[in-house]
Amino acid sequence: MTGADAQSQEAQAPDTQTPDTQWPRWEIFKQDTASKVHQAVGSVHATDPDHALFTARSVFARRPAAVSLWAVREQDISSVTREELDNGGRLPDASGETQPYKIFGKKNHKRSMTFVDELGMLEAASPQAALEAAQSQFGDGLLAWWIIPASAFVGSPEDTETVESWFAPAKDKTYKQQSAYGVVGKHVSERNPKAKA
Amino acid sequence: MTATLKIQANTDQHTETAEQHAAFEARIAGGEKIEPGDWMPAEYRRQLIRMISQHAHSEVVGMLPEGEWISRAPSLRRKLILMAKVQDEAGHGQYLYHAAETLGATREEMVDALLSGKAKYSSIFNYPTQSWADVGMIGWLVDGAAIKNQTMLAGCSYGPYSRAMVRICSEETFHHKQGKEMIVQYAAGTPEQRALAQDALTRWWWPSVMMLGPHDKDSTNSGVMSNWGIKTKSNDQVRQEYLNEHVPELLELGLTLPDADLHQDADGNWIHGPINWDEFWDVVKGKTGLNKERLATRNAAHDDGAWVREAMLAYGNRLRAQAAD
Repeated sequence: MTGADAQSQEAQAPDTQTPDTQWPRWEIFKQDTASKVHQAVGSVHATDPDHALFTARSVFARRPAAVSLWAVREQDISSVTREELDNGGRLPDASGETQPYKIFGKKNHKRSMTFVDELGMLEAASPQAALEAAQSQFGDGLLAWWIIPASAFVGSPEDTETVESWFAPAKDKTYKQQSAYGVVGKHVSERNPKAKA
Repeated sequence: MTATLKIQANTDQHTETAEQHAAFEARIAGGEKIEPGDWMPAEYRRQLIRMISQHAHSEVVGMLPEGEWISRAPSLRRKLILMAKVQDEAGHGQYLYHAAETLGATREEMVDALLSGKAKYSSIFNYPTQSWADVGMIGWLVDGAAIKNQTMLAGCSYGPYSRAMVRICSEETFHHKQGKEMIVQYAAGTPEQRALAQDALTRWWWPSVMMLGPHDKDSTNSGVMSNWGIKTKSNDQVRQEYLNEHVPELLELGLTLPDADLHQDADGNWIHGPINWDEFWDVVKGKTGLNKERLATRNAAHDDGAWVREAMLAYGNRLRAQAAD
């Protein structure tokens, strides 16, 4: 990811790699239901966009719920935390072509299995310009920002039939759900020994 | 990547100031999560990479003892459950490698460290699985102990590790419950089933008690780990939680725990007898147990997959070349 205080090192071009070196890393965003936003869930290593999405499906959608996955090469992400901003950190601000950027942010320190949430999209000429526009639109108190050109995203198929084939099977595999198993034995609360000081 | 570059600037502990440490510790004390890109002590980074990558390796190697039983499952339902569980372990390895990568460790370094035997993983996976009942007992005891530890780690101060743990715990609960369901059925079943369950318990009990790590008085890394909110409970505290939950349920089934000294104290806590730590360290160091076999299996799988990785890369490169034309 492009840092706040330095340009990222050029990622090694994949074709100079021997087979056992690290494949490119892709950050994955998952949308749980049509009414929810995409959230950053983690990363996968993959050689191409399709491979990234298929791998993401195996890693992040073994259970419900998911209706859509996005993947982005890590070097296309500009990230910055509040601490970095407080210390004068900036994102790359060389003016380029005005283009749409997707904006992601982390709002609180609550325990969670996801990182930044999609907040919206806006047009800007650089990641820094997009960040400044995002701060005035979404508030400047956020704990972390990811600013990503919309052109960098690849997504799972959106037609209903394919969405079904990707994500419906997980719904029928109820044996994977902890809720499929009853509570066995006396309930813990009945015993509840006083904790040792 | 942000984090990687900052790491290079921040691997020299001598450049760290008392003010930086105080501000960092105040953030953790205030319940804030440290995120990639934030300032952190070099030692915090080092400890986390060590711990998270070991944890990832454990998930990956953890597929092996149970994977051996997929083809021998007694019913289709049990087979589906076991396949899902082993798939989960693979996924958990992925979540954790991701968390370690945010600290600047690369996937290759980590995988190499595992395959070469340089990195440790949880020694519980070096015990053999001798009967089908072991699959249930591992689910109930080993995953039960792991959940206690991972629930604690879900509250840890490093954001990516905490998030991986939250995700893992919710899936791990299925592992725990399916194992318990199986053992409860066998314990109430035919004399043969009952004997299988008892035999599995006799073999897995002590390893599961040991897997929560050395006693607090013998634990080397614990001071700094608790000050920085990485481990918010000690090994012995987590072990006590594990015993208090699992002992009564096992006894309720009429099974016998292989610990003559096991008793409850005045507060109702279950107190175990002395642990044979020599056995623990022998397994950790690979003197006993299946360390060699597990690594050989991992290496064979890695080598057998080389042609697939090569083909994937060739395909990816061709796509990129076409896109560039």
